[in-house]
Amino acid sequence: MSLKNAVAAGVIACVAIGSAAVSANAQTRGSIISFNGPAGEAYIGKFIKGIKETAALKGFDIKVFENQFNQAEQDQQVQQVLAAGQLPDVFIWWPSDAVAGLGSLRALARTGIPVLKINQLPNEQDKQYIFGYAGPDDRLRARNAGYMMREAAARKLAEGGDGFNVLVLSYPHSYGGYGLSINAFKDAIEGSPLNIIGDVGEGFGQANGYKGAAKMIAKLKDQGIHFVYGMDDAILTGGIGALEEAGYAMGTDVTAVGTVCNGDKQLIEEGKQFGTTLQSPLHEGQLAIKMVEQYLENGKLDKYINFTPNPAVTLDNLETVALRGYDDKLYGIDELCSGAW
Amino acid sequence: MTGRTISGVHNRALALIDRWVQKYSALVVVLVAAFLVVFIYGMVTAPNFLTVFNFKTIIRDAALVGIMAIGLTFVTLSGNFFLLSMKETAALCIIAFATSMSLGYGFPISFLFTMAIALLAGAMQGLLIGLGGNPIVVTLGAAGLFFGLGSWWSDNLVLSFRRPHGAEWLGTGSLFGLPNITIAFILIAIAAEMTLRYTTFGRQVYLIGANRAAGKATGHENLSMAIKVCIIASVCSAFVAVAFSAQVSSAHVNYFSSEFGSSGDMTIMVIATVMVGGNSIMGGFGSTLRSSLGAIFISTVDNMMVLHGFNSGPRVLAVGLMIVFSIIVFALLRRGSRALE
Repeated sequence: MSLKNAVAAGVIACVAIGSAAVSANAQTRGSIISFNGPAGEAYIGKFIKGIKETAALKGFDIKVFENQFNQAEQDQQVQQVLAAGQLPDVFIWWPSDAVAGLGSLRALARTGIPVLKINQLPNEQDKQYIFGYAGPDDRLRARNAGYMMREAAARKLAEGGDGFNVLVLSYPHSYGGYGLSINAFKDAIEGSPLNIIGDVGEGFGQANGYKGAAKMIAKLKDQGIHFVYGMDDAILTGGIGALEEAGYAMGTDVTAVGTVCNGDKQLIEEGKQFGTTLQSPLHEGQLAIKMVEQYLENGKLDKYINFTPNPAVTLDNLETVALRGYDDKLYGIDELCSGAW
Repeated sequence: MTGRTISGVHNRALALIDRWVQKYSALVVVLVAAFLVVFIYGMVTAPNFLTVFNFKTIIRDAALVGIMAIGLTFVTLSGNFFLLSMKETAALCIIAFATSMSLGYGFPISFLFTMAIALLAGAMQGLLIGLGGNPIVVTLGAAGLFFGLGSWWSDNLVLSFRRPHGAEWLGTGSLFGLPNITIAFILIAIAAEMTLRYTTFGRQVYLIGANRAAGKATGHENLSMAIKVCIIASVCSAFVAVAFSAQVSSAHVNYFSSEFGSSGDMTIMVIATVMVGGNSIMGGFGSTLRSSLGAIFISTVDNMMVLHGFNSGPRVLAVGLMIVFSIIVFALLRRGSRALE
């Protein structure tokens, strides 16, 4: 075979494969491109599983572009997608940084293709570029944690206990979710005997939870720490480790409440953690696809803001909490949570 | 105290400062003095800083980064710069350890399995560096390889193993009021310093690091040295992975990417620690003792800032300033000593 013939054969093969792909695409209900963080992060890994499986179930083609928590990388991915010219029917937008990523969101919206924002609540600037929001509600999650702590404090008071000092193990204070979470938590415990005496935002994850708590224990030991609120369970898990190392008996000396359900199930089973508020990444992914489906069918969403449910999880309901997914399957707590569950 | 005594002390102090200025240059003395003033002021005014409990917290806080920094110091002293794969080696090793533990193999087998992987990882990088590969390029490539392997192996999920388990003594146990991880840090620091000071291998590290040509002329090739020091660094990373996994009874490939320190990256923290210790980046000068003290120093400043209520931004800034400060001061000190020679 001459070189010319080989090239011709190659071109024909490419066209054939391309046609087959287009033909296969034509049989789907639409195509989606999602921009989000890396699958290597436990929460996002489950989120991606949720959107991919639900998209396949509902007959959508989906491509996922992951960035390493880097807005510049995400901006580049947006430019590449736009330059390639193969545009989907809907974009799903989880910005690495909602403010810095506004330019990319604007560029996506200018193509005329609808954009669904997820995970981070819309702000005044980006509302004009999206058709809706699907994802968690930091405020609801924190409020539920506050209510759980109130309940624990009420039990303690009824049993004649005293000491209601609260240590807060926060997200970094520069993180957007911090303000929403701490304000909602404070509102929820207002009027109760609970009193916040310390708030440390060492960073995300268990190691930072441990380090932040260890330093605050040194600072607040004399005042007494009786309750701990972790803005997520991973941070709280580290904090519980530090408290135990410092000689506190979790569940008796100190009551711990977390959120997100990305910590350690065994801590709740052992009574070391009073409870948590579920925020399921699997549900979040499924909800995003549901909203895309609704928009493509009706040209609009029933509601502009769509939250995933945040039920409280305690020892009492640990084995019975279940949520129906947007794929109509029933999921137990082990599948919904994203930590050591 | 009589006027003559005060005058004597005053004169002796002036004479000492004068000697320092002559020996180290006025700039070094001013920089160190300014730093000491800020540092001592911070220590005295930070609430509950000067307590035994907080001192233990500081050392414990420094332990994991410190152990990794000790391992990396061998690489730096031998003139092979840095391993940019420290956290990825730890990521692969923590997955290996948790997988083995969750399969019920127990601590000894899981530990040996993890160390074997670290040994292979270190030997592979050392071989490539020793054969002439650029340490930065080789270890960047290795970082991707190890992280990818860990991510694929764990399917990006959190792997957990239930308590009680055979690794708890290391992760959460304590002896004479000191956490076992702190004790491990102290023992490793002593062993590493003894190795460098009193063994033939230690002297070879300095010789090859200070002058590779001279090392070669005396029969000490960098190939075997690079393999040995990379194995030491990898084994230290693996030990940290095992200790952290033992502490939290779980593992995730991202634990070392976002969990440690305000800067959010274990490798950066470890390199910062080696630099703050005043080790020469070009090799041949420094010690593991310096790195251990560097870790404790960073931890002390960070602790003090948390007790003063600083959030993550200023604390990252402080670490950056400490690195710049150390580089300037140690460079001036070395220049001063050379001038005296």
